[in-house]
Amino acid sequence: MSTHSTNRRVAIIASHGGLDEAYPALILANAARQSGIEAFIFFTFWGLDIITESKVDHLHVNMAGNPSAPMPTMLAGLPGMESLAATMMKKQMEELELPTVREMLQILHESGAELYACELAMKMFKREQKHLVAQVKDVITAGDFYDLSDGAQIIFT
Amino acid sequence: METPRSDDLAALHARFDALSAQMNLLVERQRKTEEFLDEMSPILKAAVTSAATRLDGLEKKGYFAFGRELLGVGERVVEGFSPDDVRQLGGAVVSILETVRALTQPEVLRVASDASEVLQNAERAEPVGIFGMVRATNDRDVQRGMAVMLELMRHVGRAAAIVKESRAASPLADKRAKLDGILGAKRARTLGVERPAAPAPTAIAPKPIAPVASPSAPPVAACAVPTKGPAPVVTTLDGVGFGADGHLADASQWTRALGEKLAELQGVAMTDAHWALVDAARRDFEATKTSPNIRRLTQVTGVSTKDIYALFPKAPGRTLAKVAGLPKPAGCL
Repeated sequence: MSTHSTNRRVAIIASHGGLDEAYPALILANAARQSGIEAFIFFTFWGLDIITESKVDHLHVNMAGNPSAPMPTMLAGLPGMESLAATMMKKQMEELELPTVREMLQILHESGAELYACELAMKMFKREQKHLVAQVKDVITAGDFYDLSDGAQIIFT
Repeated sequence: METPRSDDLAALHARFDALSAQMNLLVERQRKTEEFLDEMSPILKAAVTSAATRLDGLEKKGYFAFGRELLGVGERVVEGFSPDDVRQLGGAVVSILETVRALTQPEVLRVASDASEVLQNAERAEPVGIFGMVRATNDRDVQRGMAVMLELMRHVGRAAAIVKESRAASPLADKRAKLDGILGAKRARTLGVERPAAPAPTAIAPKPIAPVASPSAPPVAACAVPTKGPAPVVTTLDGVGFGADGHLADASQWTRALGEKLAELQGVAMTDAHWALVDAARRDFEATKTSPNIRRLTQVTGVSTKDIYALFPKAPGRTLAKVAGLPKPAGCL
């Protein structure tokens, strides 16, 4: 009677650090775990911000250059606009009772999803594992990523 | 009787002469003193009168009042400061004097006087908008002035940081307190980040779980959609209808015995902890008409996400809802 096949796996690559770019990866992983699908997320480049202790509570939303932004790009580039957009978005999310990014990471960790940081990006941004949130399992290379994602569907966000 | 000898007489005469000369000198000196006094007294009188007038003038101008006030200030300073303060001030005097010297250098004073000239002619300045500001930045002097101001700001900021460090234990707490002060309670409502962080992970233990849903359970999240009545029946099992997704079509048909059978089909060995969650889910469904998702269950029961995954390892939300005879959990959390 089970509607899901066994041994399904997803590997999600999170390469952007915006608030609006963090949630899709986190929610997809969470939904996978809830559906009995093994999930792990590979955080690389700007995506590292999502799992960096000092940044996770302060992710912003970039409106400039976003054709869906409710304002002209010229205005969206003004100073403080991304903070404003992030505040608005957080307000909306709270109305929907969405967990914060930090809570999402904790929920994912508890649900058994595995979080990995990209070694090369870590070197580029001069970060070490001590700068990351505790839920990150390991710092791995792209090669390790392919080993881990063997048999998994890969989602790039 | 012996007649005086002529040389004795001569000696006596000489002495007498000397004496008279001395007398003359004394008389002369006395006369000079008197003359001096006669000459001086009008001058002295004039001087004293003049001095009195001067002092009176000073008094009128307020010099003495100023002096008296200064004394009062001195007294107040003595009252207000302890010897320790003065000793500390002594340590700072050199740097204060150095600052004063630096501030009173001719170049600095010229800058200040130039600046004050600008302020005096303020009424002649043309109003400038944001584009005027941008245009003004082409001016080399403005550029240099901006560089000086930026450097000044950097120093002020550094000093402020030092003061702050010496005061606050946690810079983050200080920042939050400051923001809260500015924005009031509004911030806590508008920003989701103010909610307490999730508890640290603990070891897996299917420990006994409080079976009662807390009466103060939060309202259902807006992203969760209430169920729209019984689903169309696709298959039946023991006379009970099931929907296309494998969930019980009508939640009201659920019995404990059916739950046991469904759990067996799902491959879950039910314990008290499992039943507590199932009961909580059913009660929440009764109250809200919405099939609870995992996040909702953690909020309602207080059981951690980790424990729920430990009890129902495979797709906990779906499995639990199937065993409890509820529709597919609402929302994507």
